[in-house]
Amino acid sequence: MAMKGVSSETSHLYDGKVVRAAAPSRKKLAAKMTSTHELPDDAIPEVHIPTFVESLFGGPLVPKMKFLPADKMVQTLQMLSGAVMIMLGVLTWIVTPVSGTVWFAAADLIGAEFLGLGVHLLILLVGLGCGFWGIFSRDSRFLLASYVLFILISLRFASSKVTFEWVEFDDGLIQKVMLVAYAVLLVMYMELTNGVVRFSMLDTSIRTGEVYVMNVKKVLNKYHISLVVTPLIAAGVAAITLMFKDIIADFVGLFSEISATRLDESVELESVYGVALGTMIVFLIVAVVFAANVPGRIQKIRENAD
Amino acid sequence: MAWSRKSAMFGSLAIALYLLGLTLRNHQLVTVAVVLLSFLTWAALRASHADVAASGRRMEERGEEEAGVSLSRLSAMRKLSSARVFEDGEVDVTLRVQNHSPLSKVLEVRDSLPEVMRIKKGANYILMELGPRRETLIEYTVECPLRGFYTIGPVCIRIQDSFGLFHKEKEMHVYDDFLVFPKTEDLKDAFVKSKVPKIFTGAVNIRQPGPGSEFYNLREYIAGDPMKAINWAAYARAGKLMVNERERDAVSDIILILDSRAVSETGPVSRNSLVYGTRAAASLASFFLSRRDSVGLVVYGDEVLSVDRDTGKKQLYVILTKLAGAMARGETPLQVVTNRILPHINKGSPIIILSCLEDDSTIVNAVRDLRSRDFDTTVLSPSSLEFEFDARRLDRTGYEVLKTERDILISELRGLGAFVMDWEPDMLLATALSGARGF
Repeated sequence: MAMKGVSSETSHLYDGKVVRAAAPSRKKLAAKMTSTHELPDDAIPEVHIPTFVESLFGGPLVPKMKFLPADKMVQTLQMLSGAVMIMLGVLTWIVTPVSGTVWFAAADLIGAEFLGLGVHLLILLVGLGCGFWGIFSRDSRFLLASYVLFILISLRFASSKVTFEWVEFDDGLIQKVMLVAYAVLLVMYMELTNGVVRFSMLDTSIRTGEVYVMNVKKVLNKYHISLVVTPLIAAGVAAITLMFKDIIADFVGLFSEISATRLDESVELESVYGVALGTMIVFLIVAVVFAANVPGRIQKIRENAD
Repeated sequence: MAWSRKSAMFGSLAIALYLLGLTLRNHQLVTVAVVLLSFLTWAALRASHADVAASGRRMEERGEEEAGVSLSRLSAMRKLSSARVFEDGEVDVTLRVQNHSPLSKVLEVRDSLPEVMRIKKGANYILMELGPRRETLIEYTVECPLRGFYTIGPVCIRIQDSFGLFHKEKEMHVYDDFLVFPKTEDLKDAFVKSKVPKIFTGAVNIRQPGPGSEFYNLREYIAGDPMKAINWAAYARAGKLMVNERERDAVSDIILILDSRAVSETGPVSRNSLVYGTRAAASLASFFLSRRDSVGLVVYGDEVLSVDRDTGKKQLYVILTKLAGAMARGETPLQVVTNRILPHINKGSPIIILSCLEDDSTIVNAVRDLRSRDFDTTVLSPSSLEFEFDARRLDRTGYEVLKTERDILISELRGLGAFVMDWEPDMLLATALSGARGF
């Protein structure tokens, strides 16, 4: 009870002193809070709900990682991809005539053939544009669009004929070599552009300390060697399948001249079905090699070699 | 041999182009398909691992050979700098990977870490070229922010072709366990002492004359008193023999009761009642044991686990280990715990309860039982309301209502003569303890 005439004010006793029995009360904080019932933004964790397409493919179709500026290796791959893409563009223009395509048929129907040619050129140019943008901005969506356009342009009814409308080659061998070169360039374009994204991801992971790489040069050397060897092998196999008719005719010619001539002049073997037969035989051999676990056995011998 | 998404895409594209090529009679498409297939086949050959599933063997028959010839001659060993650390402590991990094969390999090595661990230095994910018959050391440091039993491992090794089309993985079952103790706070005084001391001498003065080191009072000499206890100065003043009496030093039995029911984990992972409770229990155990008291621990959740009272450093590690493994589970009420332990505790022993005081209708009865038997009861209650409110998971109205209910319960417990502290998240343990004891 305060005495009469004596002030009950005691604040002066605490002047210049820090009085703190406990941490600041949450009650005070609570009272200061606004009365809104909205949930604060940071109370809800960020959850990525996969889209329908993502759920079909088990994840995002293209990586969404943000890359750090390209390092030397990535820049080299970008330049290489750009060069391969230009070569691919030129070869595509050469080996893919407009005739037989849907847009040419539609344009022909309305009597405006040049329109079909325009669409054909447009698809190629857009494919190249998407490719360039995809390569240098390292955006997988544009790269994917570019792949689709490069494949789309070659979807044409060809009647089993290898025809190059823009450049004339009388020699069948050159035509086949051109075809193989086109196919190898297309696959290499896919691989190199994929490599740009893959190595950008790796480089970013290295620089952010997520991954550590030992002997980077040796790891990259193996990739470089594969970039040279694999297309050569693929080109060789493709050449064998495309020239299956000649190979089989030469082989049969060892036993029978007449049969060899018949095979050489066979329309069926010259057609796309002949190529299919060649493919079937080549990959049957490969299947036998796998069934017999030959690669595993070779690896085992190499591993155990002391 | 596992297919990557890239190889699956290439494979399906090749088949689609091949079929389209045949349908449209287009050499161009067929050639692209053949090149793609050749590309894939060559990569598969280079990866050179026959498919396990194709071997026709069952899973349990899988030997090391089937795990991938190229991976069979790799081994890993791990060394930890310490098997026991306190929270926020660091463990240095050294992983030795050996290639016993005469061939060099490009490997991706990932040492699996528990989710809560943070890498402070180095990396546990390495891409490397390991030469023939070479070994390499991978060193990294992990920070351990939360108590518990943890296991590092297995070591996952992946080998893949240069284009990332096919890969083979192997898990090396190299495991290392380590323990993260709850971190302790240095306490200068816990303001807790037994009213009924044990016969052994200890470091706590209990305001009774007896064997000890602190001066208590002077009294007249009685035959049989040791000569060294005579206070000669007092004798000179009083003219009769006076002896110094000393304050009795003794040890107490301290019982720590930790609530590890499922509800105690309400709040963020690193800021909840159980985390605070375990840290407080560890700090208190460390403090009491350092002053030679006897400390026992009871942890209750889905079952009642207890550590018998004992003294010494060994007891501290036993308690810390038990605290490290405390899991938020079950809903055993406090009354069950008190009923079980009361017959085994010396009357008057201090009991410290670390509980959020939620979802337990028996708390009042349990504390009443303890007080009626004259146990010195202290309740330290980290409030999950505060944790939830701080994490903005609770709105203001809900917080105020729950807080009022909690205040009423705390007042009721205080009315029973228990020392109760509503422990706010930013408050130091020493402050909470002194607040509970009314200092």
